[in-house]
Amino acid sequence: MTATATTSLTDRYIEAILRRVPSRQRPDIERELRTSIADAVDDRLEAGADPAEAEVAVLTDLGDPARLAAGYADRPLHLIGPALFLDYTRLLSALLITVVPAVAAVVGLLRAVDGDGASSVAGDAVGAALTAALHVTFWTTLLFAVIERVPSAKLPARRWTPTALPEPTARRTRYAELIAETVATVLFTALILLSPMLRFETDASGDPIGALDPWLWDTRVIYIFVGLLITSLSMAFTRYYARASAPLAIGRAAADVATGLTLIWIATNDHILNPAFVEAAGWSSGVRTWINGVVVAVCIASLISAVFTGLRDYRKR
Amino acid sequence: MLDDELLSTHQQELRRGTVVLACLLILRKPNYGYALLDLLERSGFAVDANTLYPLLRRLEKQGLLTSDWNTDESRPRKFYRTSDLGGELADTLSRDWDELHAAFRTLKGES
Repeated sequence: MTATATTSLTDRYIEAILRRVPSRQRPDIERELRTSIADAVDDRLEAGADPAEAEVAVLTDLGDPARLAAGYADRPLHLIGPALFLDYTRLLSALLITVVPAVAAVVGLLRAVDGDGASSVAGDAVGAALTAALHVTFWTTLLFAVIERVPSAKLPARRWTPTALPEPTARRTRYAELIAETVATVLFTALILLSPMLRFETDASGDPIGALDPWLWDTRVIYIFVGLLITSLSMAFTRYYARASAPLAIGRAAADVATGLTLIWIATNDHILNPAFVEAAGWSSGVRTWINGVVVAVCIASLISAVFTGLRDYRKR
Repeated sequence: MLDDELLSTHQQELRRGTVVLACLLILRKPNYGYALLDLLERSGFAVDANTLYPLLRRLEKQGLLTSDWNTDESRPRKFYRTSDLGGELADTLSRDWDELHAAFRTLKGES
């Protein structure tokens, strides 16, 4: 009835469908689909179409076999559907913002303790963060794609209630700011106090050369500075948990301003970087001037911000 | 001016469930896939073959249709027929449709 070439086209189409459906459905689907295609081709032939064209037209109408097979097998044509999508994005973002920085911090710390150079510490930390992000994303996505495809595996349906609404932005942001400030202060303080031990550069006898000026330790200025940092942080906590008041606002502003001014004083007297360290690292003296300049600029910016925060606290009183 | 894409999206949304009801009603008399496609089209329920064939199997799996192979003719044909459960669903959905129809009439009458 039809030419060999066109028969094989139908065969190939049906073959493509059957490959993608469960084996117990195959004989039934094949018989039905073959008849349906033959009926449709006959109709077109009766209407005066060319046999080869008729078959092509019928198969074109049926469309991509993968899509039709997905319909037969009741398979979703998406990776993660609307029922799971929110759980997926929530879990993924929660994992990404916790696991990735943690991995980067741990790897960076381990490398620093090993005494690797600054660039290798940073490089390894970034590399580990990227790898962790890839793994977290891949495995989370795979898990949800599997749940989507296993009919019985449904996540427990959590009913949404208004209590799950996010807190007003102001308080939530302030909390995030507080956490960020705590983490930054702890890391920064630890880095400063540990800096004489970190082996970024070593002297002739193999002892580490501290990146910061030993003058800071000799004069105990560094302890004053760290003390100011901690005072600043405790002011931030007090401000978050206690009711805003004028003495508190003034105290916080005073701590911030004292920290900033101390740092500016250190920077303008060129007591930030250890000259021996700069020499060992092979940096030009311009680097010292440059870093001092950056520190002063940052301090001025934070002083301005401290004044504004103080004013804001005062107005909220 | 209503553009075609917008129109067809909304039409599709509105007609989505009607094919099921139409199938359940037509298949109170047994029929096979390709003939049903033709019948639906002539009754004003245009549906693509690649939507209808999987749909028939889904309805069968849900117990709303039953099927029998008829091998009397030159080509074996799978004849579907609305089951008792399917008939029940068709009655319920028809009532729903009538209620919707009445509700729309009221809306249009009031405006």
